[in-house]
Amino acid sequence: MAPVANPKSFCLDIKKSGEAPKLMDFMKGTTTLGFVFQGGIIIAVDSRASMGSYIGSQTVKKVIEINDFLLGTIAGGAADCSFWERHLNRLCRMHELREKERISVAAASKLLANIFWQYRGQGLSCGTMVAGWDKKGPSLYMVDDQGDRHKGNVFSVGSGSTFAYGVLDTGYRFDLTVDEAVELGRRSIYHATHRDGASGGVARVYHVHEKGWTKVIAGEDVNKLHYMYAAEKNLKGDE
Amino acid sequence: MSGLMEYNGSAIVAMTGENCVGIAADTRHGIRQLQTVSCNRQKTFQVTDQCFVGLAGLATDVQTLSQLLNFRMKLFTLREERKMQPRMIGNMISSMLYEKRFGPWFTEPVVAGLDDNHKPFVCAFDFIGCLSTAEDFVVSGTTSEQLFGVCESFWRPGMNKDELFETLSQCLLSGVDRDCLAGWGGVVHVITPDEIITKKLKGRMD
Repeated sequence: MAPVANPKSFCLDIKKSGEAPKLMDFMKGTTTLGFVFQGGIIIAVDSRASMGSYIGSQTVKKVIEINDFLLGTIAGGAADCSFWERHLNRLCRMHELREKERISVAAASKLLANIFWQYRGQGLSCGTMVAGWDKKGPSLYMVDDQGDRHKGNVFSVGSGSTFAYGVLDTGYRFDLTVDEAVELGRRSIYHATHRDGASGGVARVYHVHEKGWTKVIAGEDVNKLHYMYAAEKNLKGDE
Repeated sequence: MSGLMEYNGSAIVAMTGENCVGIAADTRHGIRQLQTVSCNRQKTFQVTDQCFVGLAGLATDVQTLSQLLNFRMKLFTLREERKMQPRMIGNMISSMLYEKRFGPWFTEPVVAGLDDNHKPFVCAFDFIGCLSTAEDFVVSGTTSEQLFGVCESFWRPGMNKDELFETLSQCLLSGVDRDCLAGWGGVVHVITPDEIITKKLKGRMD
């Protein structure tokens, strides 16, 4: 624990005292989304890290490959998310060795949620989605830093989530083909990056299927997508 | 209070060249910091045929102040039957802003113009009217820190109008690519003794 008088409230105390004004400003600007359909799960993310109004980076990896068949997304504190999701990888591997079978997505997300519950109130900042395909088929769970855990079919997390939901909810059907689903994910991320100031960079899309996950779009510049979608509508793109 | 200066988001930069001066601004209109409403808000306003004023800050004050400026310019021209010089425009803006010292306009203007001897003039103000002239360039808006860095690197004395246009555009686009609140396109005006060249910039739309 931190060598301070009161480790449990360290994060909140630093914020309140104002001694290090920008230290605890985690990047909360982001758009991540995931949805379940007949072909599995699509996870799509942007790649911008914003600290207040400053753009820290345009090439952040917001999808963590927990293991060959589980994916986790980052929103909030990058260190918090990536550390605990890599920790989850260790726990999943231990489960496999002990039980001689793969961990279910429900159990994996529960392990993560329990960790956040334990550290609740201590200042972790994390809004993540855990996606995978197990014996019960494809499952998507949203887990956040309060210890909340919800199973669902359509989720979007981050400051750009409201914009992504608009496009996602309009185009979502359970019986989308894989190509249509990938396009829906990419399009939703593009629209969120255009409207939300804190999202941008490139769009990354992953597909989770029975045999694990595939990185379908490694990184497509959203600026290029803007002019491409504008041309489809015969517009110039500067409206 | 400072939250109001970041409510809409803007990036303005003005630079001097050899017998020419340029001013560039982004065109994003955002609200509540992060949401983008449109990509073509005007932030640079022509006040005389050789002078532009760029207004960064709260959009409503930008609009009102630009209309007020227009009014004052026209009144001056009618009364004195001569054109206002850029330095005079600067002083007038400074007084207009200080008039509202205890209930200020939330905008940080920038003036760029050529005087009657074709000598370039740029200056910037804080939101209560402190005028600061510069020989090389001035910046304003939420992106000002990024713009300072990039202009300091790329500005050089004695640029002609094409070099000035290129430098201004690249500085603006690079600066706003590091700011969440500004960008989504840009516009550049280069003022020479013979003409005013206005061009729209194609920037990143994220």
